[in-house]
Amino acid sequence: MGTTKKYWAGVEEFQQTPGFLESQEKEFNEKIPVEEFLNDERLDSSTTGRRDFLKFLGFSVAAASLAACETPVIKAIPYLNKPEEAIPGMPLWYASSFYDGHDFASVLVKTREGRPIHIKGNKKYGLLKGGINARINSSVLSLYDSERLTHPLKGGEEISWDQADQEIIEAIAAAKSSGKKIRILSNSIISPTTNMAIQGFLTGINGEEGALASHVTYDTVSYSGIRSANNKSFGKSVIPVYRFNKAKTIVSISADFLGNWLMSNDYAVQYGEVRNPDGDWMTRHYQFETLMSMTGSNADYRVAIKPSEEGLVAIAIHNKIASQLGGVKINVDTIAVDEHIDQVVADLIANRGSSLVVSGSNEESIQLVVNKINSLLGNYGSTIDLDNPINLFTGNDEEVSSLVKEMNQGEVAVLMIYGTNPSYSLPNASEFNSGLEKVSTSISFGLYADETGVRTLYNLPDNHYLESWNDFTPISGDYALAQPAISPLYNTRQAQESILKWSGKDQSYYDYIKETWDFYIPEEEGLFTDIWNKALLRGVYHSEKMPAAEWVFNDGSLQGVSASINSISSSAGAWEVVLYQKTGIGDGRSANNPWLQELPDPITKITWDNYFTVSLADAVAMGANIYLGEKDPASLATLVVNGQEMTLPLIPVPGQKSGSVGVALGYGRGGNGERIGKAAYQTGEDGQHIIVNDLPLPVGKNVYPLVNLGNSYTYRQYNAEIAIVEGTYPIALTQTQHTIMDRDSVLRETTLNTYKTEDKEAYNPAHTLPIHVDGKLVQTPVKDVDLWAEHPVEGVGHRWGMSIDLSTCIGCSACVTACHSENNVPVVGKDEIRRARDMHWLRIDRYFTSDMNKEIGDELGLGQVEMYRQMEVPSNNPTTVHMPMMCQHCNHASCETVCPVAATTHSMEGLNQMTYNRCIGTRYCANNCAYKVRRFNWFNYNAYSKFSEVNPAQDSMARMVLNPDVVVRSRGVMEKCSMCVQRIQAGKLDAKKEGEPVKDGAIQTACADACPTHAIQFGDLNDINSNVRKKAKSNLAYLALEEVGTQPNVYYQTKVRNNDNENNA
Amino acid sequence: MHSLAEIREPLILGEKSYGDITNDVVDPIENKAPKGWYILMAISGIIALYGIGLILYLIGTGIGVWGLNKTVGWAWDITNFVWWVGIGHAGTLISAVLLLFRQRWRMAINRSAEAMTIFAVMMAALFPGIHMGRIWLAYFVFPIPNEFGSLWVNFNSPLLWDVFAISTYFSVSLIFWYIGLIPDFATIRDKVKSPVMKKAYDVLSFGWSGRAKNWNRFEEVSLVLAGLATPLVFSVHSIVSFDFATSVIPGWHTTIFPPYFVSGAVFSGFAMVQTLLLVMRKTMRLESYITIKHIEYMNIVIIVTGSIVGVAYITELFISWYSGVEYESYAFLNRATGKYWWAYTIMMSANVLTPQLFWFKKIRTSLIATFLLAIVVNIGMWFERFVIIVTSLHRDYLPSSWSMFYPTWVDLGIFIGTIGIFLFLFLLFARYFPVLALNELKSILKSNGEKYVKK
Repeated sequence: MGTTKKYWAGVEEFQQTPGFLESQEKEFNEKIPVEEFLNDERLDSSTTGRRDFLKFLGFSVAAASLAACETPVIKAIPYLNKPEEAIPGMPLWYASSFYDGHDFASVLVKTREGRPIHIKGNKKYGLLKGGINARINSSVLSLYDSERLTHPLKGGEEISWDQADQEIIEAIAAAKSSGKKIRILSNSIISPTTNMAIQGFLTGINGEEGALASHVTYDTVSYSGIRSANNKSFGKSVIPVYRFNKAKTIVSISADFLGNWLMSNDYAVQYGEVRNPDGDWMTRHYQFETLMSMTGSNADYRVAIKPSEEGLVAIAIHNKIASQLGGVKINVDTIAVDEHIDQVVADLIANRGSSLVVSGSNEESIQLVVNKINSLLGNYGSTIDLDNPINLFTGNDEEVSSLVKEMNQGEVAVLMIYGTNPSYSLPNASEFNSGLEKVSTSISFGLYADETGVRTLYNLPDNHYLESWNDFTPISGDYALAQPAISPLYNTRQAQESILKWSGKDQSYYDYIKETWDFYIPEEEGLFTDIWNKALLRGVYHSEKMPAAEWVFNDGSLQGVSASINSISSSAGAWEVVLYQKTGIGDGRSANNPWLQELPDPITKITWDNYFTVSLADAVAMGANIYLGEKDPASLATLVVNGQEMTLPLIPVPGQKSGSVGVALGYGRGGNGERIGKAAYQTGEDGQHIIVNDLPLPVGKNVYPLVNLGNSYTYRQYNAEIAIVEGTYPIALTQTQHTIMDRDSVLRETTLNTYKTEDKEAYNPAHTLPIHVDGKLVQTPVKDVDLWAEHPVEGVGHRWGMSIDLSTCIGCSACVTACHSENNVPVVGKDEIRRARDMHWLRIDRYFTSDMNKEIGDELGLGQVEMYRQMEVPSNNPTTVHMPMMCQHCNHASCETVCPVAATTHSMEGLNQMTYNRCIGTRYCANNCAYKVRRFNWFNYNAYSKFSEVNPAQDSMARMVLNPDVVVRSRGVMEKCSMCVQRIQAGKLDAKKEGEPVKDGAIQTACADACPTHAIQFGDLNDINSNVRKKAKSNLAYLALEEVGTQPNVYYQTKVRNNDNENNA
Repeated sequence: MHSLAEIREPLILGEKSYGDITNDVVDPIENKAPKGWYILMAISGIIALYGIGLILYLIGTGIGVWGLNKTVGWAWDITNFVWWVGIGHAGTLISAVLLLFRQRWRMAINRSAEAMTIFAVMMAALFPGIHMGRIWLAYFVFPIPNEFGSLWVNFNSPLLWDVFAISTYFSVSLIFWYIGLIPDFATIRDKVKSPVMKKAYDVLSFGWSGRAKNWNRFEEVSLVLAGLATPLVFSVHSIVSFDFATSVIPGWHTTIFPPYFVSGAVFSGFAMVQTLLLVMRKTMRLESYITIKHIEYMNIVIIVTGSIVGVAYITELFISWYSGVEYESYAFLNRATGKYWWAYTIMMSANVLTPQLFWFKKIRTSLIATFLLAIVVNIGMWFERFVIIVTSLHRDYLPSSWSMFYPTWVDLGIFIGTIGIFLFLFLLFARYFPVLALNELKSILKSNGEKYVKK
């Protein structure tokens, strides 16, 4: 509290005379005769010269070091004209859209001081209910990659935009006049305005006649099989909208629809809606697949099949349905696996019109059979919408092949590559590369000088999507906008601007979008500016949807199906290969994102590598290392397929079909040491990149060359050989024990039937302890057996808690990356993960069932030792549970009592607090945590050389992504989930400013925010109407390890599966 | 008047006189040390420097240079801590408890045993220090007024009790040991000829004059300090055991730890005393003072405490089954048959079987056997702490967190380094300090005039 009076030292200060100003500059007001002193000749002749010298030396050294110790000057430059809404310290949120050619999502971008730092789904207004996945919320980090191209290049040398434009316009004109072809090769463009710009550009060249210039669409992972099947079946080359949330029976034949198939982030949201055991109904999910996929791990019934059997399964289902509902059988030579097919068919027929059958194969023949099945079941118009299809995945594999041919024949003069990396991901990349050499003007719009970018003549780097204006229509009738959340960091330019310029348009892409929207939005809707502003604010715009039409299935389309499927199954060899995508890495685009490389695969829990997956039985038969851990490396195996050989570590995965090998796409980026991001390269024990033959070693190996080049790209190889070879390979897993060891106080599961018909004690028995009361033995509930006095928490103030629904957690791990992004969690690299030192505050424990449990052990009369030994081994076809585990914020926390310096305490609102600046790092709290959720800073992750290549906080650019609301921890300090206390405080403050109590749902932790299925929910347990309180009181609710007496604030909901019998037998 | 009892062997052999005792103890100090001493000093010095260097590396780079991980937060650091503290307990028991029980045989061994305690506790105290992530803030554990609103420490925490226990133990032991040394320093001061040594021991002896008043006070203080130190024998290691007993981890959470740890401490401490003293008595020719009887008595203590430890092991195993708690029974099954079964086997055979061998008179009076078995006991006791800490942590409640622990060269190097520092200090003690309690020994010297009687 100061006054506003100012006191002047004298008239000089008041008048700010020059003399006064000058004196301000000087350290001392009096004149110090330094010069005279130093020039004094008497110094040389002084008898005490030595002593004085040392005195002066000491003084000057001390003075210099004191002077050097001054506080560094940090410039804080205030706004000259502050934008009204920009308050330093307060975040600004922008609605935008994420699209990378593979996933689309409506997102909200959180910016602080003009920097985007966090991405979450736009759940309230966004398309697809704002569903996101781990790749989407990690994308904010790629904005700050210091290896991005910073300016346009020609032949590797810097060039100005104007110069480049000029040269390219000339090249285009030259090509046109010489009759050579001009091609744009891009990923599926779902932006109507971009498509218009491209059309305008092409028409400008082609005129009315000829097709010198064209646009070829190439999807890294192709779904053209579905389009061509629909084209044959219904005359419309579309990929429909699938409504999993209207399907009471879901049958998936190798479709990883929750992880990577089509619009998986949308399907995850829908799936979560119908997996609620308390809802009106719960869907029943059957999965027939080869590999244990994330989707398969959530299925109620799962059957392992070989890839060559996918078509046979479809046909078996089709034939049984056809025999009941009227249809012609399709003949095949081999009969498919019969397990469960009858039950599947019975369920499908019982739920006609509200069932859904999908397949993840890109074989047109299999998709045709699936179409027929859905058609027989009457699913079109209810669970499948062909009228308003999705606009993604328009890639035409045949056109891509012919483009490569054209290039090699030297027919293409100008090639523009946008949003795709063909030199990496094409199966025939070497042919593409040789063709690229023959293209005189090749242009890459990529953000990096990546595998394709180093080969093109021009690199005209596009803006990052967070720096871009764009519009999207992922589903017909729904539109979304993307707006920049930050000015372009570098001298980059949106590809659309280039296209417009080369079309002769002198308009910015932003204006072009507005102009286009203005043109197409009907007048009746209202004033364009209003519509535009509203669309920009919410990020979406809804237009009219097409009404449902009558779709008649063209039976003629099934003609070649039998032959095709027969040929597949007859070509099957001893081993078959499935190429899949991982949840974190996807198609390879995000290989340079350290958060995603360190994200454990939901099934194998392995980070930083790709590998061959085989079934547990096969691995045992091959003599491979089954147990993987810190000093238990994986065996190496060589796969020989299609004339290609590849050696990778061999990982046993329970539930995989014997005789099959799985390997993930998206690895092996940067094979020639291209600068695509530090995290794309493998680090060794010292954390530095491993150099092999003068090149940095990529993470994993590129298996795109194994993709089948047929009419469409398919991701199966039916005839392969695999064998163990000498040598081992260290594997970095975050979890080395894969079964729950029959510990039902940790994990509870039941069936829907049991839940609906039986008492709570049958499926969720309360923990009791036998206590002597008045000489009698009384089973007392755990909560009542307590040494400690009750904290006054019930009904007083807030009590923050969480509910985690094991029925809806699918294991997608979007919560894990959201937590990393929100809380500045360091990335530690492969070697530290291998040493069991990951820093994940929130982890997803994945448990497989085992064939052994206590009951069976008793029956068989096994000794305890043998029983436990067998319990460690997962079943050959296990069921899986994904259990998110974070700090349980125990009310009687075992960690709080043991910290010698009281660095971890309990707040009045139920949170376990971690005071970083008090922590001296004795680690007793971590030892005493029964849930092992605490993480210790073993090294200085922010400066130690071992982490320079992986931890974003060490990169001068990437550290801009750090959240300023959260401390970055120093070495020697313990950290753990704080329930996003910074968000809680911000939320309470907002409510206080409003003058109202905190509304349920207003404060969300990062993990709850990210969760697409709402499995993780956060709220106030003391709020009578809150969601979490209701969930906590539900019959399914239990506390993990309740008998230890820690009284957590995190309630788990027993996993309910919709199968009739246990162990999905 | 002392009469020669025929039943017991005299505690000091060889018909020594008071002068002999003084000479036997002061001569090694006054004269040049044997070559072996220099060699051992060099070796232990190098090992000590290596250990110190690694400690500096640890503090400079981070706890990550050890083999610890998210599941196993303590391993060699706390094992070493408990091992060293345990070893220290022998000295205090000999000095204090045996004093209160008026066991005169303690006088030949108590000085060096207490020295061993001091150095062992110094080594022990290193570990809680260096195992901290931020050792430069170690002062946070002391309840001193501060600027955080004067934030107190957490009195609920066993680690904090350790701070008080270890510091109390160290200070009391140091004072007790030093007070006992004062008359002996005076003796040395009076005997040596070199003026430098005379002055040094004069300073060390605080001007002891040998007057009756000094002796009077000396004996009173010794009694008081013995009274203070005795409960420490039981409390310090009980508190150390609380580090584990008060936690929730199966294998740690058990009330048997205080008596189990205390007896284990005395057990391993006496074994270390045996190891050191067997070498010392030979090289410094103190066989008349540290007699076979002394060795035998110490071995008997080893039988008693070793048996208590053995019973405790068996009790633990029984309770793990009897309790019906699945986590507890798994913890012990895992110990015996899991990935660290080899450590458990070493622990059981070294600690349960070995002391039982001392029931045989032939073995407990054999110097070679005692020396070897004492080393086996110490190895076994190290493994006991390792088994308790690491096997309980590495597989606890949630299977998803199960991991392994592998030590790094830094873990090993620092442990061996502390052995080097300990040896270095003990060698210094043996060279410059009176290794026997001169004044006490003289009080039990039984001599009679028989030998002067002409036959």
